[in-house]
Order: sequence, then C-alpha cells, then structure tokens
Amino acid sequence: MFGQIKMVITVLLIAGIAGAGMYVMKLRSDNAILKANQFKLETAITEQNKVLEQQKKDFTAILESNKKLNVLIGTFKKDLEDLDKRFTKKNRDIGKLAIDRTEAIERIINKGGKNAARCIELASGAEHTPEELKATLKSEINPECPALSNPNYVPYQ
Amino acid sequence: MYHINKIFVLAIIVLLTGCSIGGEKKIKIFSIEKPREKLDYPMPTALQLEELKWIIITSENAQEVFKKLEEAGIDPVLFGLTDKDYQVLARNFAQIRQKLQETNNLLEEYKKYYEPKEKE
Repeated sequence: MFGQIKMVITVLLIAGIAGAGMYVMKLRSDNAILKANQFKLETAITEQNKVLEQQKKDFTAILESNKKLNVLIGTFKKDLEDLDKRFTKKNRDIGKLAIDRTEAIERIINKGGKNAARCIELASGAEHTPEELKATLKSEINPECPALSNPNYVPYQ
Repeated sequence: MYHINKIFVLAIIVLLTGCSIGGEKKIKIFSIEKPREKLDYPMPTALQLEELKWIIITSENAQEVFKKLEEAGIDPVLFGLTDKDYQVLARNFAQIRQKLQETNNLLEEYKKYYEPKEKE
C-alpha cells in the first residue's frame, strides 16, 4: 500500500517537474518570438520613417517642379501677348506701315526673324552667349523671348 | 565467417546512410534590392538655324525688287505672304518654339526627378 502511494507521488512529482520544465521552455520560446517581433517592428518603423522622409522630399520636388513649369507657361502667354501687341499696338497696321516705310519695316522684320530663330535655338537647349546673359536693358534683350534669352532679366514698364 | 558477415552488413549500412550524416545544408534565400539602370540619355543637341532674308514687296517697289534679284543672279521669283499671314506665321513659330521649350523643360525635370546626379 505504502509502496503504491510512493510510486504515485513519484510519478506526480516527475510529471510536475516535466510540466514545469515544458512550461519554462514554452515561455522561453514565446519570449524569443516576442523579441524577434519587437525587432521586426522597430525595423519596420525605421523603414517607414525613411519612406515618409523620402515621400516628403519627393512632394517638395514635385511642387517645386510644378511651380517652375507654371511660371514657364505664364511667360509663354505673356510672350504671345507681347508679339500680338507688336503687330497691333495703337491700331498699328503692319501692312500699311510696310507700304509707307518699306525698307525700315524690312529691316525690322529681318531683325525680328533673326531674334525669333535665336529663340528657337535657345528653346532647343543652345547655350546662352555672355551678351545674352548680361542683357539688362530693354534695348539689349531679345524682345521675342526675353525670359528665355536671359532667365534673370527683370522686365520694366 | 559469422563476424565477416556482420562486418559486411555494417559496412553496407554505413555506405548507404553515410551521406545523410550531418544532414542536408539548408538553402538560404535572400533578396538584394538593386536599383534600375539609369537610361541617362544626353539632352538633345541644340538647333543651329540658318539665316533667311525677308523681302517686302509692294506694288511700288516690285519691279525694283525683281531687278535686284536678277542682278544678284537669283531667280526673280518670290514666295509671298500677306501682312496678316505674316502675323499668323510669326505666331505659329512662337508657339512651336514654346512647345519645344516646354518639352525640353519637362525632359529636364523628369531627368532631375528620376535620375538625380549622385551629389544632388
């Protein structure tokens, strides 16, 4: 009888120790998983921050680029208006002017054509000449495309 | 004889299972993010336009103009535009130039955005 009780207690004891051991093992395994998860989360946060930082930089670059293009399109509109004005300012009739002052208008038109051709060269990516970049006066600047001819030129009224 | 058989059987077992000792090596798969190659085209070559000369011809100077052309050895023929059409031509050229400039600018901006220089 006593022997049987002893055996049961021994079995229970062994089972208890084994259970505790397994429980500790499980805890250690859980702990390892949690540590790995924590590390992954921290890495993910760092990466997310990097992505956010890059996105911020990209947005700034896009805004800046949009602004630049809008300014450019604004200058296009103004250039076309200026061109129209040159033909029609003060009810000017270029046809009648050409009849009255043929040689003078021929000279003006040839100069205008030369300037317009230079504008096309610049628009296609030609390098500016030092004279073009130095031009600050209305008489010095290419009137067909002032903004393109010298990006730093400030028109005055 | 009995021992020889035992050794023989043992040798066969070792021979057949020998390769599995230590286990197979695990294959490690990892990915490296490699950026896409840059297209890096040079910007288009700038245009170099040839100069042309406009001649204004009216009913009064027509004969004189043709005479001058003949004297200079140029065929006495002119391709004409009215004053209104000349204005249209000037406007059309201005628009072509603007489109060229816009396209070039867009190209530059795309290049700057997607293929920035290393130091930028």
